[in-house]
Amino acid sequence: MALQAVFFYLFSFLTVASAVMVITARNPVHAVLWLILAFFNAAGLFVLLGAEFLAMILVVVYVGAVAVLFLFVVMMLDVDFAELRAGFIKNAPLGAMVGAILLIELVMVVGMRFAGTAQVVRGPAPAPVAGSTISNTEALGAILYREPFVFYLEIAGLILLVAMMGAIVLTLRHKDGVKRQSISAQNARNPATAIEIAKVPAGGYTVPPKAPEKVRS
Amino acid sequence: MMAVLQAYAPLLPEIIIVLGAMVLMMQGAFRPENDAETSRIMWLALAVLVAAGVAIVQLGEPARLFGGAFVDDAFARFVKLLVLAGAGGAMVLAFDEMKAQGSFKFELPVLLLLATAGMMVMVSAGDLMALYMGLELQSLALYVVAAIRRDDAKSSEAGLKYFVLGALSSGMLLYGASLLYGFAGTTSFAGIAAAASVAGAGQNLLLVFGLVFLMVGLAFKVSAVPFHMWTPDVYQGAPTPITAFLAAAPKVAAMALLVRLVMTALPGVQPQWQQIIVFLAIASMVVGALGAIGQTNIKRLMAYSSIANMGYALVPLAAGGAEGAQGVLIYMAIYIVMTLGAFGCILSMRREGGLVEDINELAGLAQTNLFLAFALAMFMFSLAGIPPLAGFFAKWFAFLPAVKAGLYWLAVIGVVASVIGAYYYLRIVKIMFFDDAKAPFMATRAKEGAIVALALVLVLGFVLPFVASPLVEAAGTAAASLK
Amino acid sequence: MIYKAILFLPLIGALIAGLFGRAIGHRAAEIVTTALLAIAAVLSWIVFFDVGFGHTTARVTLLRWVTSGNLDVSWGIRIDTLTAVMLVVVNTVSALVHLYSIGYMHEDPSRSRFFAYLSLFTFAMLMLVTSDNFLQLFFGWEGVGLASYLLIGFWYKKPEANAAAMKAFVVNRVGDFGFALGIFGIFFIFQTIGFDQVFAAAPDMAGKTFNFLGYQVDILTTLCLLLFLGAMGKSAQFMLHTWLPDAMEGPTPVSALIHAATMVTAGVFMVARLSPLFEHAPTALEVVTFVGVLTAFFAATVGLVQNDIKRVIAYSTCSQLGYMFAACGLGAYAAGVFHLFTHAFFKALLFLGAGSVIHAMHHEQDMRNMGGLKAYIPTTWAMMLIGTLALTGVGIPGLAGFAGFHSKDAIVEAAYAGHTPYNYAFWVLAVAAFMTSFYSWRLMFMTFHQSPRWKDGHGAHGHDDHGAHGAKHGHDDKHGHDGHGHEPHESPLVMLIPLFVLAIGALIAGYSFKEYFIGHDYKAFWAKALYEGPNNHILHDLHSVPKWVAWTPTIAMLSGLALSYLYYVLAPGLPAATARAFRPVYLFLLNKWYFDELYDRIFVRPAMAIGRFLWKGGDGTVIDGTIDGTAATVGKVTDRVVKLQTGYVYHYAFAMLIGLAAIISWFMLGLGGVK
Repeated sequence: MALQAVFFYLFSFLTVASAVMVITARNPVHAVLWLILAFFNAAGLFVLLGAEFLAMILVVVYVGAVAVLFLFVVMMLDVDFAELRAGFIKNAPLGAMVGAILLIELVMVVGMRFAGTAQVVRGPAPAPVAGSTISNTEALGAILYREPFVFYLEIAGLILLVAMMGAIVLTLRHKDGVKRQSISAQNARNPATAIEIAKVPAGGYTVPPKAPEKVRS
Repeated sequence: MMAVLQAYAPLLPEIIIVLGAMVLMMQGAFRPENDAETSRIMWLALAVLVAAGVAIVQLGEPARLFGGAFVDDAFARFVKLLVLAGAGGAMVLAFDEMKAQGSFKFELPVLLLLATAGMMVMVSAGDLMALYMGLELQSLALYVVAAIRRDDAKSSEAGLKYFVLGALSSGMLLYGASLLYGFAGTTSFAGIAAAASVAGAGQNLLLVFGLVFLMVGLAFKVSAVPFHMWTPDVYQGAPTPITAFLAAAPKVAAMALLVRLVMTALPGVQPQWQQIIVFLAIASMVVGALGAIGQTNIKRLMAYSSIANMGYALVPLAAGGAEGAQGVLIYMAIYIVMTLGAFGCILSMRREGGLVEDINELAGLAQTNLFLAFALAMFMFSLAGIPPLAGFFAKWFAFLPAVKAGLYWLAVIGVVASVIGAYYYLRIVKIMFFDDAKAPFMATRAKEGAIVALALVLVLGFVLPFVASPLVEAAGTAAASLK
Repeated sequence: MIYKAILFLPLIGALIAGLFGRAIGHRAAEIVTTALLAIAAVLSWIVFFDVGFGHTTARVTLLRWVTSGNLDVSWGIRIDTLTAVMLVVVNTVSALVHLYSIGYMHEDPSRSRFFAYLSLFTFAMLMLVTSDNFLQLFFGWEGVGLASYLLIGFWYKKPEANAAAMKAFVVNRVGDFGFALGIFGIFFIFQTIGFDQVFAAAPDMAGKTFNFLGYQVDILTTLCLLLFLGAMGKSAQFMLHTWLPDAMEGPTPVSALIHAATMVTAGVFMVARLSPLFEHAPTALEVVTFVGVLTAFFAATVGLVQNDIKRVIAYSTCSQLGYMFAACGLGAYAAGVFHLFTHAFFKALLFLGAGSVIHAMHHEQDMRNMGGLKAYIPTTWAMMLIGTLALTGVGIPGLAGFAGFHSKDAIVEAAYAGHTPYNYAFWVLAVAAFMTSFYSWRLMFMTFHQSPRWKDGHGAHGHDDHGAHGAKHGHDDKHGHDGHGHEPHESPLVMLIPLFVLAIGALIAGYSFKEYFIGHDYKAFWAKALYEGPNNHILHDLHSVPKWVAWTPTIAMLSGLALSYLYYVLAPGLPAATARAFRPVYLFLLNKWYFDELYDRIFVRPAMAIGRFLWKGGDGTVIDGTIDGTAATVGKVTDRVVKLQTGYVYHYAFAMLIGLAAIISWFMLGLGGVK
């Protein structure tokens, strides 16, 4: 147990410390790297709780996908963080004051809990995974895909759908004039649609044939 | 199989909307992209809303599903019908104007449908998780539609601001939810109510802090002061039909969620939440009334009006009890009608080159378009709370429970604020009727005209017993079902 | 049935004239509304005799409106003597004003709209007087407010008319605010808003108190004072009177109907109607008396120096309303309502007469530009004379006199019998009677006697220095020179007939009804319409006051007449000399005790400033945010909160955090009941 406690405090300390570094680092790339470290430590905390599936998901999704995406964005955008920080400094005293008040008050909640002045009404503790014969992943699945959690899962799916649609509708642009190959359209062409025969009167001229039918991209 | 489906029958309205949204999304993705097609999808989306409304009316016995996470009772049904009406009305307003602005996309109706689904989950929520999920579904869709004119800097800015601040409020809400969970050991409203009803629960900081954070998150959604700052900017920046949508249905849903939360999950700590509600109500009424003075942009004015109205709607909630809930419901029902009507008028302020938003452009409207001027004047009189228009009764039913509960001074502040508010509403009337006429607006479009006429009939006709009485009774039944 | 007819005929008229006025033409709209009103007026008299002498009372439920919990609101009519009196007053005057307006407004291009408004107003007023619960009373109350707004602003092209309409509306809102609070309070205390139920429960409430901010406050007194605030607004009592003179910007028939006979008396009506409540709140009654007496005095002083013919009558109305309130406050509700009744006749007569003068002078209202009109419009002169005799209360004590003589003297006597501290009510009202006489005769002399001043434009100003203040000059010049090429002419018959009818009322209304209203038969006449506490014998006492008291108002009246004759007929140079000698007093009165200026300073400008501050400070300018970091004092913090609507997201987020921290701290510091 002592070893577990040591690791718990190690991971917790590192998580908080790197979180502080995220918002104080001068270089945005460094900030993202600190963020990745924070994620790793949080994953460590999950492992300590015996939730290794969640730990892996955290690493794969947040470190592997989200944080890397952040890195790309930060590197591609030319954001002058020094300038943003100027505003931050100006408002720092007031911000620090409000932040400090909130922090003190929140700490007091926790403090009271330990001091025993606030009685906490506890609900039933989550049942331990019986006999460990089923894996972590299975246990999660058993919760997520049954009542009542399936309801939340469905709504979560809808939320992701909205996120996806939002990204598309706000950023996808159809440019005119981009030529793309459409094999089916090419195959469907026949002389009737591709060739127009114009009768030229003797000694006269004809109007140019209308532009060929545009192939839908 | 049928028995299983039967068990989920109370979800039918939500299922109709969600399935409809997905089908329409597919249709939009695979059919050619043009205005005619989008119009068709809009009509179909309206049909989906109507179908969901019919489904609500047809629902059987009240039920609780998913361990109480989804509650289907008279309260939920009443609010859902309001939400559907608000969403449908705003959607009708969106047709022509979005087309004119060149941002008529099929995603719009789909996103609005999904937002509506989110609101319906919210009003049925009986669990903190359902509360949050519904809220996010709704909000995320709204962030997107606020920015849907992506080439317009104002619209993008509105969407972004709304998103960033909304994320912050969600963070607060989640923090509050986790504190409550820590206190009660459960996220269900019933469980929290049981844990919070023990003697001395009101002294528990964990509970009180959770309550505060949670209510702050919801206060943002109803744009109560001081969590209202986004409102004027977003209202002004978003395309006007979207603003109409934002001002109507989501407000009702969030207000209903707040009512259900405090009445069913936290009745044990009423003295505590009552103080917060009173604070929010007073701040909103006062800031809303004072902030509107001097506004020249009609959409910003409506934003402040909406803030003030949320303050009034919170007054009966502060009183608590079934009567308070009834007051909120009646207020919100009338508020939706007035808001949509007013936005219908605002959308008719068109000249060559698009909408005008400056209040002074309304000058002398009575001489060029008497119907529009009359309708807008009636909405303004109603918002100012002048009898016998609907807005007066809204305030009447809002202040009465507060007076009964002994919150005299809250009612006094409310009445004072509405007197101040009457000033800027009447200013618009004065500009329309007494100032020299400016160039006339273009003819009102049929859809806007229909919404305006309908709202006008309701605002003027509310005093008739066959309009007022059913609403009051339905709201009473709905409020009584909150347990 | 007859009750419903009385109530709805005006509404039908309003709808016809308003909706179809353009289709059926002005002439038809005029005839329809006037005819319907005339029918209603005749029916009202039938009801009046039926109720007043046949002692029938009635409750008619027209419609159930909302029933929810213990809130049961239905729309019903309550007919008793008080209602019947009001019906007679409202419908008679309204019918005559309709008739008169046919002549007066015959040049106006939107007459049918005018008639629609007039009828609509009448309907609202009938709603008010027939109400049998507080909500309906409030409805009628706001309805007449709206109609009055529309009518004052009828000539909406005139900026003054617009401003006056807005002012009337806003000032009335202040009163209505108190009124609405009073109704809320009634419902809270009595759990009902029906008159009968409230009145039945009132005796039990007498003397009970509630705790407000640590003080024990009498419930009924509070409620009555709140309701009285509404009455003050509607009846233009001291502090809330400022809208009434400005409302004279509206057409003159409107002034006669609304601002003399009906709407402004709604406050008196309400106090009389609620006599069962007020009787149990002696402190509130004292306030009513005081406000009434003060108004009677104040308005009379201002009336002394006004030059606009309509404003003089307006201040006179204000003053007479003060008399009525004083009577009610003393417990002599019957005397108050009696004065209301007679006042309706002679004040409407005066207004319509003034309208006739204005008509004759081609819309000139300034008395300094009149004079000598007696020769040109003798009929109007005669009618105005009757009105003036009635207003000033000419008569022989113990015998008979004009209408105002009976009612006003009754009030003055009641003031004596009421035993106010130092008899202040009696003395002040007597002085006010003197001033009433003075300004009324001044009006008569300046308008009809003296030498004509309208022939030579503003040359008259030289010998009457009332034109000392410059504001009116421009106005005068416009009219003075060439506007009146032709001579004043008598009004058409359609305008004179209403004058004749009202003149009859002004002659006999007092003498023929006094026994019923305040005399020996009053108990039978009023039945239960007015309530008197067990210790209230004032109506009895006022008949047994000393002789000199009964003569006092008559002497005051005669001396006012004499002084006026001296000033304006015998020695026309005296007014100017007096004004010069007492210049500060003169200016003080001329500017109506500086109330408008005071309100502008206290309310209007700060409100505008706050609005502008929130707008400019909040939205208009993007603040640069260069706050000296180390010196972020509390003052600057609040300053920033106000100016936070900057458009910067982080400012907004910050506001949210501050709000959150504030609420949390509230609970943390134990203010919210959490340790």
